[in-house]
Amino acid sequence: MWLVFRKELMELLRDRKTLFFMIALPIALFPLIIGVVGFFTSKAMDEAQTKVLKYSIVGAQYAPQITDALRQSDEFDLVESVSGDDFAAAIREETLDFALHIPANYAQPLLEGGQAKIQLTLNDAGLNMIQQRLKKIIDEEIERKRKQAFSELELSDDQQSALLEPVVIDKQDVADKRENWGEKVGGLVPYILFILCLQGAMYPATDMGAGEKERGTLETLLISPIERHHLVLGKFLTIALAGVTSALITVASMAIWGLVLGQGMAITFVSDFMASIGAIDFVLMFLMLIPIAAIFASLLLSLSVYARSFKEAQSYMGAVVFVVIMPIILATLPGVDLDGGWAWVPITNVALAIKELIKGTMDYYALIAIFASTVAIAGAFIAFSIFWFNREKVLFR
Amino acid sequence: MIEIHGLAKKFAVANPKKLSEQEKQDPRLKGRFFHSVEDVSFKCDAGKVLGLLGPNGAGKTTTLRMLSTAIKPTAGSLMIKGVDVLANPIEARRKLGFLSGSTGLYGRLSGRENITYFGRLHGVSEQEIRQRIDDLADLLDMHSFLDRRCEGYSTGMKQKVSIARAVIHQPEAVILDEPTTGLDIMATQTVLNFIRGLKEKGIPVIFSTHHLDEVDELCDSVTVIDKGRNRFNGSLDEFRGLSSGSMHESFMTTLTEQGGH
Repeated sequence: MWLVFRKELMELLRDRKTLFFMIALPIALFPLIIGVVGFFTSKAMDEAQTKVLKYSIVGAQYAPQITDALRQSDEFDLVESVSGDDFAAAIREETLDFALHIPANYAQPLLEGGQAKIQLTLNDAGLNMIQQRLKKIIDEEIERKRKQAFSELELSDDQQSALLEPVVIDKQDVADKRENWGEKVGGLVPYILFILCLQGAMYPATDMGAGEKERGTLETLLISPIERHHLVLGKFLTIALAGVTSALITVASMAIWGLVLGQGMAITFVSDFMASIGAIDFVLMFLMLIPIAAIFASLLLSLSVYARSFKEAQSYMGAVVFVVIMPIILATLPGVDLDGGWAWVPITNVALAIKELIKGTMDYYALIAIFASTVAIAGAFIAFSIFWFNREKVLFR
Repeated sequence: MIEIHGLAKKFAVANPKKLSEQEKQDPRLKGRFFHSVEDVSFKCDAGKVLGLLGPNGAGKTTTLRMLSTAIKPTAGSLMIKGVDVLANPIEARRKLGFLSGSTGLYGRLSGRENITYFGRLHGVSEQEIRQRIDDLADLLDMHSFLDRRCEGYSTGMKQKVSIARAVIHQPEAVILDEPTTGLDIMATQTVLNFIRGLKEKGIPVIFSTHHLDEVDELCDSVTVIDKGRNRFNGSLDEFRGLSSGSMHESFMTTLTEQGGH
């Protein structure tokens, strides 16, 4: 068995394609993609933030404060006259970014004029910061008008805040920060880990089953005096190892690049969060990859052994991705927890366990169910591979 | 000694509608089964070389594959050096060196690593493997390319490594399925000399071929099969004696004569 394992591993490591997908891609390409996307997003955001906005204003005389604030700011540029006062058309032609329509009652004090509705005309499709940038000015106005009204009514500070927010809910969360964020992040981590693990195992699995048929080496292998189950287990271990390695390399690379590229604020948050997860839970989390890799490797190997050719195997593998995503999505649904029946559903239970581990609410007895169901599933697939290797159909189908 | 008797093999036809007209007319197609081999018997004694002849699709490869334990016969018996192949396939595999016609090598491993892997699978010790590879590299003239990766090998290089791999465990009987097909003249000669070497060591060799001059040069006995049945079994001299002309004529005679030997 170890003989087969060693040889398959050596062959795998000699393959440039595998090395590229397993090591080079996660280390160099993922950060590069994330970096490029990040760069262009922040550039677009910057532009929306700092671009000088052309505006037009109707009823400026009712709101001298707004008019002055806009005029004094060099972020805004007044367009004096718009042809036919058709603001919508001007905005569409991009000679104007937005138009404000201030009603007559704006000039009156709040208690007399009532609520003032300022009409903002803009093209809101696509990235723009118009409303956010106007908000600074408008918020000052709201504050000013409130103060004016409150002083007229002669209300105390307490009365003022009571009037603004008559009822306030004071939330006392029993979940600590870890559990809270664990619930949010916990669904995503298994998703990424599992897909990476599957991706990493896929190519070697195809190569070791269908690939071996296609190259004509399988017949010679089958007539050598090695027991079929040694052969299958050797191949199985190699595939599982490839899956785990590829997932770990990618995660490590993401973590390192995340730390390097992340902002100072995010780093303290991430490291605080990481520190709150105990060492045992952390190790357990990665140990959870073992049952997953076992299921994936045995499933992929049995498909690859069953397939007639490399191509046929690859099309099966494509379908596997969809099948695998299903139980992971199940685990992210609300109400699906690691207890009772769900602890026995393969893949879903591991996804749930990783989430629980991150949250710090793991019920360690569930590990029994997880490992039992994994052994059953992986065992069944391995048994199928051995059975299939024992039939002459494996060679001539 | 290799002895097979009354060997037969039928395959289930998955989709009878897909068969070509020619296949449908083959008398071996019976109902849902294709009887690839119906009745084949021959015997090869120690130190003898048996040439297995027959047209394409005659059942040569199927017969040899049954000997190699890759597929199980539906009927008949197979003995290699006193070991019943059907009852004890693992033991038979140890005694047998088999080169299949469609064999391949692991492209990302060197020739030496390919041979070593199969040596280890056969349980040969590391030292012995090294020694054997050196000897085989001399015999098959492989020193120049043995440590390069197999993916860049020519047909001849691949075939030489495949043959070396088939005999790394010092088998007591050797079966070669079309060992010279596709090889150039020099490589063919190397392979034929290698077979002669096996014969001198007293190892029975069965090889299938389409080249009658190879049969003439090497074989002690000849078996011709066609449509899954024996057409001729006998010594090389008897085979030559079938016609007054060339070996080719003898061969054609065996095919036209119904029943044969």
